[in-house]
Amino acid sequence: MSGLTLRLKAPASERINLDGVTPAKLAALSGHEIAKLNVGIDKGGLALGDAFDISGSASETLTIEGAGPNLDFVGGGLDSGTIRVVGDVGSYAGRKMARGKLEIRGNAGHYLASGATGGFIHVSGNAGDNAGGFIPGDRFGMLGGVAVVGGNVGARAGEKMRRGTIIVKGKTGEGAGTRMIGGTIWAEGGIGPLPGFMMRRGTLLGPSVESLLPTFIDCGKHDLVIVRVMSRYFKSTLGDLAPAAMPLFVRKIGGDLATIGRGEILLPAA
Amino acid sequence: MSKTVNGVEIDDTFAEAFGMTGTGIIITADSLKWARIAATVATGFGTSVIGAGAECGIDRELSPDDTPDGRPGVRILMFGFSPDALVPQIRNRIGQCVLTSPGSACYAGLKAPQSIGLGKAPRYFGDGFQTAKKLGQSRYWRVPVMDGEFVIEEETGVTTDAVGGGNMLILGNDRAGLLETAEAAVEAIAKVDDVITPFPGGIVRSGSKVGAKYSGMFASTNDAFCPTLRGTVKKSELGPDTLAVLEIVIDGLTSKAVADAMRAGLKAVTDTGAKRGVTRVTAGNYGGKLGQHHYHLKDLI
Repeated sequence: MSGLTLRLKAPASERINLDGVTPAKLAALSGHEIAKLNVGIDKGGLALGDAFDISGSASETLTIEGAGPNLDFVGGGLDSGTIRVVGDVGSYAGRKMARGKLEIRGNAGHYLASGATGGFIHVSGNAGDNAGGFIPGDRFGMLGGVAVVGGNVGARAGEKMRRGTIIVKGKTGEGAGTRMIGGTIWAEGGIGPLPGFMMRRGTLLGPSVESLLPTFIDCGKHDLVIVRVMSRYFKSTLGDLAPAAMPLFVRKIGGDLATIGRGEILLPAA
Repeated sequence: MSKTVNGVEIDDTFAEAFGMTGTGIIITADSLKWARIAATVATGFGTSVIGAGAECGIDRELSPDDTPDGRPGVRILMFGFSPDALVPQIRNRIGQCVLTSPGSACYAGLKAPQSIGLGKAPRYFGDGFQTAKKLGQSRYWRVPVMDGEFVIEEETGVTTDAVGGGNMLILGNDRAGLLETAEAAVEAIAKVDDVITPFPGGIVRSGSKVGAKYSGMFASTNDAFCPTLRGTVKKSELGPDTLAVLEIVIDGLTSKAVADAMRAGLKAVTDTGAKRGVTRVTAGNYGGKLGQHHYHLKDLI
């Protein structure tokens, strides 16, 4: 495969921080400078060249092989190009990503796509808690882009999410869309218990929901044009990764009425 | 030197057209019938930019595969003097005619580097209950209405490379046959993408000249082409056998589209015109000094 390849030398004994290690950044550096990049957790910590075998030449694509759950911030700040990861990654993958593509052939830890403003993320396995969520100090969770998770996601997916889309082929954990401000979470395997706590706006879609907060109200059966627009948009941009189109009629459950209640959970109408 | 094609004389002259601002909008509905109704009403009273504020028309019908929501639709075009001049036209026409039409939705119908508000104003009809969904670069507003939701994209593309006022004047000695021929020309032009013929049925019977004897009138009847004035005005353009003249005005998003439309229209006229009493085709111009675009009829046959 063309482009630079980083292969983890041995299961690392400490956490590795790959924030800002992007194809564009590496392309601007010499081989020596790349090897000297600090990927440890503190100043003067682990150097990239000590943790990884580096091969190939920098291009639009960066490949990380032999990855493991101790690799944090993979694709953090990605602005262009593609990062492919073979193996699992730790927390904060795709953090504040703006453009480009992050493909993870494995599982992702917590806070996947947190604060992302754009780009495309595909995790073939599961993702941990707070996917598309926010971290203390942030005003919002995910702000744009699309994240597709092949498996399940943990609790509070899309917390304080404002824009963008999270597509979950499996199920969401408890409290998906907590404090959501906008955006879309589409859980093809079903929405976990008590979604949308204090959600203002935004959309959760799925075949079923495990349980509802008492502040969510059944608004009835509707054929919503926007659901068709979304289905067609995802089909045209994501191809096989797109969620299967919802049936023509959906049941709209509106909430959270503990706040302004403009959010919605859309389920197939019986 | 004029040229005769299939018995129809084609004048050696040119249509003089102007640079305009144009935009495209897709209107969908539950059925093509209702998309057409919304589009027809939204483009109504959109004949001349001088009197109507914008020149509007239906460009083409769209199959469900070609619309953002998979429902049948219609693409309309609107032309005005400038992007700023189109803003109130879009606001009022969409707000009054599309928002109100059962089952309708409204999307960008032109991809261009420059954009103009489409749902920016109509969304406020939602009175705070409206929500937005951003997909890729497009933001869709969802305005709750009595039959569900009115979905409207926030912006559409706008081009300042559009052309307004491509035209041809068709002269004949039989009024019914002339109208049939003009209708055939409008049908042929309708098959060309990115153009509209903004006048009633695509045909103008009251061609105008610039200015008038009355102050405050920008345009007045084109007396040189009025058959009843032949012989009484200083310079009539009409020969003794001409009974009536009809004009087709064409607006297009590009100069090429206007030229293609004129070519298609001229072909329809020369193919079937002679037997219906069409004698001659000419074009309107102002000596070539006012308009940036000149379409010479001889180049289009």
